[in-house]
Amino acid sequence: MSFIKSFAAAGAALLVSAGTAFAQAGPLVTADWVADNLKNPKVKVFEVSVDPGVYERGHVPGATNIRWHSELVDPIKRDIASRENLQKLLSSAGVDKDTTIVLYGDNNNWFAAWGAWVLEAYGLGDRVKLLDGGRKVWEAKGLPLDTGTPEAAKGSVELTQVNAKVRARLGDVLKVAEGDTGSVLLDIRSPDEFSGKIFAPEGSKELSIRAGHVPGAKNVPWSKAVNADGTLKSKDELKKLYADAGVDGSKPTIVYCRIGERSSHTWFVLAKVLGYEVKNYDGSWTEYGNSVGVPVANLTGTVWQGK
Amino acid sequence: MILVSAYLLGQAPGTGGRQSFALLAGAAFGIALQRGRFCFLCNLRDLTREGDPRGALAILVALGFGAIGYAAVFGAWLPNPFGGRLPPTAHIGPVGPALAVAAFVFGVGMAISGSCLSAHLYRLGEGSPTSPFALVGALGGFALGFSTWNAIYVAAIAEAPAVWLPASLGYPGALLLTLAALLALAVLALRLGRAIPSEPATPLTAKGLAAAVFNKRWPFLPAGLAVGAIATLYYLRVAPLGVTAELGSLARTAAASAGALPTTLHGLDGLRGCATAVKETLLSDNGLFVVGLVAASFSAALVSGRFRPALPTSGQAARGLIGGVLMGWGAMTGLGCTVGVLLSGVHAGALSGWIFLVACVAGALTADRVTALLAAAGRPRAV
Repeated sequence: MSFIKSFAAAGAALLVSAGTAFAQAGPLVTADWVADNLKNPKVKVFEVSVDPGVYERGHVPGATNIRWHSELVDPIKRDIASRENLQKLLSSAGVDKDTTIVLYGDNNNWFAAWGAWVLEAYGLGDRVKLLDGGRKVWEAKGLPLDTGTPEAAKGSVELTQVNAKVRARLGDVLKVAEGDTGSVLLDIRSPDEFSGKIFAPEGSKELSIRAGHVPGAKNVPWSKAVNADGTLKSKDELKKLYADAGVDGSKPTIVYCRIGERSSHTWFVLAKVLGYEVKNYDGSWTEYGNSVGVPVANLTGTVWQGK
Repeated sequence: MILVSAYLLGQAPGTGGRQSFALLAGAAFGIALQRGRFCFLCNLRDLTREGDPRGALAILVALGFGAIGYAAVFGAWLPNPFGGRLPPTAHIGPVGPALAVAAFVFGVGMAISGSCLSAHLYRLGEGSPTSPFALVGALGGFALGFSTWNAIYVAAIAEAPAVWLPASLGYPGALLLTLAALLALAVLALRLGRAIPSEPATPLTAKGLAAAVFNKRWPFLPAGLAVGAIATLYYLRVAPLGVTAELGSLARTAAASAGALPTTLHGLDGLRGCATAVKETLLSDNGLFVVGLVAASFSAALVSGRFRPALPTSGQAARGLIGGVLMGWGAMTGLGCTVGVLLSGVHAGALSGWIFLVACVAGALTADRVTALLAAAGRPRAV
């Protein structure tokens, strides 16, 4: 018998014996729980890795690959994947209306968290879990990897329309920038991007032609929420981390980064693990910093193309 | 030493296992190239000049066996080839005039310098006097390739289709077509070649076997099978075979830090092949593969008595440099060389591999022909 620890219920001592997916409360599942539920027909596992070819060279047995750059986004216009395409993807992977969806990936679950946010936006909510620690923990524990591609009968999953409650648009962010104190903004990029010292991390292709951040935003780099082994920090540590920066859940929060993907990670931590009311602004700095006439805080005064 | 390094690398968590495999696979590839004398140009010249088809047959066996191995891997990774997706990381390059020109220039470069890039790497391990110059020249050629890349990309590569045969023929159809084409080439090679007397059978003694493995050149069948098997396993575990990504990355990093690089190389980082990246780590998978290749070729050459270092003559240096520059430019523009585009491309069922094969052979034969004509015309010109 194995035991599972749910982060959401860490304090509440919710220790439930594994065996069925329904026993799994909370937004995170452990690698051991996933290993015990590989044959559970009500659990479907998906890998969302940043690097191509990672899934194919070995993945959690039975996991389906999701290619974030074409399946979680619209490849033509800048938007999240369409409802039809995503529904087709999940259905052909065998996801039913009562299936628990487990996502995991490389780079501390970066894009797996983006996937979790997209699925939340389409109404799948609490049935979506992240494998705590992602690939890193799975590999470190020496759990088995497989190279086959699973096949499944068509599932009955149905997505809702996009839920605006988890998605912030430029107008929502602008309101806060212009003085609305009803929400709090959280910028999860590196301190150097936040201060305006640099426009984007080295090698990033998507740029904004203004440096800095949205006025009034707090700054907690996303990676601070993660332990060295790739798992998320404890609920108490996370609460303190964000409270110290002025984000304590007392007001609705909007998170953003450069292109909206890293911020999904923080969205997951705040909304799913801590239970705060949070929207992810997927336009992020590449939309805001390129918008004409919006207020910008640029602490270092870096000028675009400036000499 | 290679084994110890591989063991130490393998202890690192995360990427360690893959890097260890890359080093060992590079070593295996180096041994197979050196012992099989698996050199694209020399094997071609053996056939056209000496009428010896064995080397060409080794290449064809490697292409065919690898194509079978790749098909097996693809079947697991991408059961449906018709879905509009390409198998991950396989070298399926854009097909167009840019590729044909790049491969032709590469062929001319290998004829001038005496080998293609992978063969120069294993010959480095044999102490060749030309190879260091060819590799230095190739670095320069890569830098030249970067400076012409943007114009060529916009004019001829951006809209060139990456044609993958299984996407229209399915795996069985593409594999049958590939094997049939290779068989036709094998028949052609045998027709062009003269009959080679079979070698006396090796006595099945420890000494005889040791001589067969360590001393004599491997026959075409095991040499080709070894290359095809290494290619398949390397694709399964790490990436398609390729030897120029590391060279190109060195050139790109050096050129970038010298400020000699265009700030943007359009589309380059999104294309399939031996694409180059600005180096972030000292030990990339491809770097380890190349280090393993050279070190193992050196060991194999030493054991078989083929390690013959020589001081370069000025002619060898000049031919190495000029041929190297041409090969570097061709490998940058064509996104790989005889290994990365030709071998890994044909294995993957990519049309780009076949285009490279045809254009590169045409380039090498044209260069040889021109050299012969010049020599016949009485103008002094070293061959």
